[in-house]
Amino acid sequence: MTTPSYSPSSEDEEDKRLMALVAKGDDDALRQLVDRHHPRLIGYLKAEVGSQTTAEELAMEVFIRLHRAASRWRPEAKLSTYLIHIAHNLVLNEWRRKTRKPTSTLESAPEPGDQSHESARQVVELEESFDKAVSQLPVEQRTAILLLVQQDMPYEEIAIAMKAPVSSVKTWIHRARTRLRDLLKDYYENQ
Amino acid sequence: MSLNSQSNLDADLATHLGRSRFVAVSGFADRVVSAVHAYRRRQIIRWSSFATSLAACLVASLVYFGGPSDESLIQQTQSLVRSDEASQLNALLGLADDLSMLTPVVDKNSLVVEVLEKNDI
Repeated sequence: MTTPSYSPSSEDEEDKRLMALVAKGDDDALRQLVDRHHPRLIGYLKAEVGSQTTAEELAMEVFIRLHRAASRWRPEAKLSTYLIHIAHNLVLNEWRRKTRKPTSTLESAPEPGDQSHESARQVVELEESFDKAVSQLPVEQRTAILLLVQQDMPYEEIAIAMKAPVSSVKTWIHRARTRLRDLLKDYYENQ
Repeated sequence: MSLNSQSNLDADLATHLGRSRFVAVSGFADRVVSAVHAYRRRQIIRWSSFATSLAACLVASLVYFGGPSDESLIQQTQSLVRSDEASQLNALLGLADDLSMLTPVVDKNSLVVEVLEKNDI
């Protein structure tokens, strides 16, 4: 899938216009907003919770909350950052409510294509190792590294989304990298 | 994805996580709009039931803590009738003034007219 071809400013302006319409109860504007933002949001949530179904349920809740807050929304940050902020809060609630289920690798397993069976197996094993390692990170470290590496968000936006100082975000990311190196050390040494 | 060394961790992580950066779900926008409609309906039902409960409480408070009811007025009237206190009854119901207004005014005949009638003149 490709990134939408909007420049950041025009994208933000379009989000702002659509949000104003959503605040007036325009369903088509809401539909457009969802179409623009749901792939990225579900991608992030799936990486957080490890389940496509749960990710979709949480994304649905994010958009319902966005709709409720549409009339009060002020464009102080990107709408995508605001959506990630809501999603992060929902993820925290989800984690408080229950312990995380193991990540299913079946949904994200790549097609072998023309690779040999052995290399395909290695790729799947590495995928599983990454999923397992990321799932073992504390929630702040995991969210911070996901937003940085998966969502390509700058530190400042991650700080806004997580409602934390930039210095904390940098610390979480540093610790996440260190922890991931440690968790995946055995796998890399065996190659 | 590189499998060679630990130094490739960051690149592997970016590749692995970046693969699922976008997960498009067909028809998701329609599902969201339906969910929003359902939310609006729930809100309307919640507010209408709240308004109904509030109105019921208001009526109940008026009944229990309000002024004299029709029932008590009737009882008061009946007790007045039984004790034959007509003046109080009239005062209570405000009938006295009305009756006096309805009473025709009859002027007495003058003495001259009485004498003429008595003597068949």
